[in-house]
Amino acid sequence: MGRDSLAGLVFGARTVSLISVPAALIATLLGTLLGCLAGYWGNNRLRLPATIVLISAGTGLFWASFTGTAWWLGWATGLVVLGLWLGARRLGLQARPSSWPVPFDRLVLLLVAFLSSVPRLVLVLALAALQPPSAPMLLLVLALTFWPATAQLVRADMQHISQLPYIEAARALGLSDWRIITRHALPVIWKTVRATLPLSVATLLGLETTLSFLGVGLPPETASWGRMLATARLEPTAWWLIAVPATAILFTTLALRQLILIGRLEAAN
Amino acid sequence: MRRFLVSRLVHSLPAAWAILSVIFLLSRALASNPLGFEGSRGGNLSARTATPEQTQTAERLLHQRLGLDLPLFYLTPAAAPKSPSRSPTLRWRWQWNGLHNQYHIWLRDLLHGNLGYSFRDNQPVTALLLRALGSTLPLTIAAFLVTIAAAHVLTLLLARYRGIRYAVLGGLHMLHALPLFVVALLLLLLLANPDMLALFPAYGMGRADSTASWNSQLLGFLHHITLPLLSLVLVSLPALVVQLDNSLQQELKTDYVVTARAKGLANRLVVRRHALRNALLPAIIYIADLLPALVAGAVVVEWIFAVPGMGRLLAEAAAAHDFPVLLGGVLLIALTRLLAQILADWLSYQADPRTRLEA
Repeated sequence: MGRDSLAGLVFGARTVSLISVPAALIATLLGTLLGCLAGYWGNNRLRLPATIVLISAGTGLFWASFTGTAWWLGWATGLVVLGLWLGARRLGLQARPSSWPVPFDRLVLLLVAFLSSVPRLVLVLALAALQPPSAPMLLLVLALTFWPATAQLVRADMQHISQLPYIEAARALGLSDWRIITRHALPVIWKTVRATLPLSVATLLGLETTLSFLGVGLPPETASWGRMLATARLEPTAWWLIAVPATAILFTTLALRQLILIGRLEAAN
Repeated sequence: MRRFLVSRLVHSLPAAWAILSVIFLLSRALASNPLGFEGSRGGNLSARTATPEQTQTAERLLHQRLGLDLPLFYLTPAAAPKSPSRSPTLRWRWQWNGLHNQYHIWLRDLLHGNLGYSFRDNQPVTALLLRALGSTLPLTIAAFLVTIAAAHVLTLLLARYRGIRYAVLGGLHMLHALPLFVVALLLLLLLANPDMLALFPAYGMGRADSTASWNSQLLGFLHHITLPLLSLVLVSLPALVVQLDNSLQQELKTDYVVTARAKGLANRLVVRRHALRNALLPAIIYIADLLPALVAGAVVVEWIFAVPGMGRLLAEAAAAHDFPVLLGGVLLIALTRLLAQILADWLSYQADPRTRLEA
């Protein structure tokens, strides 16, 4: 090939810091947000006023029935809803609750189950094949498939914390949900998030190099440790083409693990 | 048990259906512009001699044959017919397409067991997948069994000889830090290289030589499968051993182990009969993830060792935008994962009947 190994190594490191680290950051942010809200709101704490729900549903139906060729669909849905409402009144049920709970927790869990129904490498492989390979696309795919791991940890933490007396006290004081989450719950959860971040960077590094090795994720002209290893397969006698990027991957991952250990030691002190 | 099975299926099947639908819709939405799979057709030679009209006609006929000219979904947004002349902004209207759309046809065929035809060579996807499974299944199942057996033995050794703990655990941590393909490449470099040790063949599954005796065929197969198997095992082993070892060490500190030691049981019996059974519980949940992870790992290993299996099929289909094959593979893997989860739940129920059977 005639390419310089050292240059490949350095630019591969640039790819790592431009893909794996931002993807891990985005995934952690998204996971923390969704996990926090799912753990805090649960299935029935977030309530939308019934008027807003009814008005928005009505507007949607109106729009759907007058703007498309599928006008009868909107009318049919409207008739079914009307029938249900009349039936409920007939049976003497509470026909107009003042607010409706949003099962946010269940929604997030559904989303997690949805993303984890296929192994991650296969999912990323399938999604990355949809578009011609490019770095932002890969970044997006990695971030969107990686957040459930963080979200599940944060959700478990949040469920535990939101039962504690000090959160109850904050709620009794009448603080807003947003303020309770950001000021009172997040500083506690931050420890978990900080511990998982290096691990996600390490996992994403493995995933990204694997994808580049398979020739799916990044465009061929981008230097990557995975692609360097792929060229080594064509030239079995060039041991350094395997040894050098492999050592780089090994030491990066080990260093990231070491960060977690240091974090744990600090937490213990 | 049956109620648990039903609830598990009710929870997991819709998730699998949803992800397949999303991948299907995304792939078709992108593949309906010809750029998506033109590269895989190899039509560059004819494009040089044909006029643009001819190319267009050929493309349209191709779309018709593959069923790509139909609307994508029951409801599709379509530009309103009168808007371009009046206002520059497009107005979108929802259009009802009836049952004659790509998604409906795909789903109906799927329920009838027909996975469609490959974009590349027009072979039925089911046949391709079955042929690929023939070489993937032995590899994956062997890797699964060998990993569990090796983890079992290694954990017992670690509990018995305390002197080797640091060395072995350190080595396992190092191994755990490497991605699968690096391990496979290193094995290839060390054990199948004419310059180092040419112990094993570098690729392939061995020839299906019908004249050779049954014994030598089996030997040849084992000879070829060793390196892929070894790399899969080496990668999945560390996490399992560390997990098992952790929970075993936890169990060895408990009171019932002290009692067992106090009544004079041999160390071997204490570990095997008393502690290990309880330590297995957390590991079983990990085993549920092991089987799908091995299937995914097979993608990489089969790519490196040129095994004509599932993983290679998937990777090639992904690289060539051959979406029917890709979807079929993803479907099969999703089903494997579902099966593995049910198996793991059942196993943990068998190991400890107090565990609640929950989906």
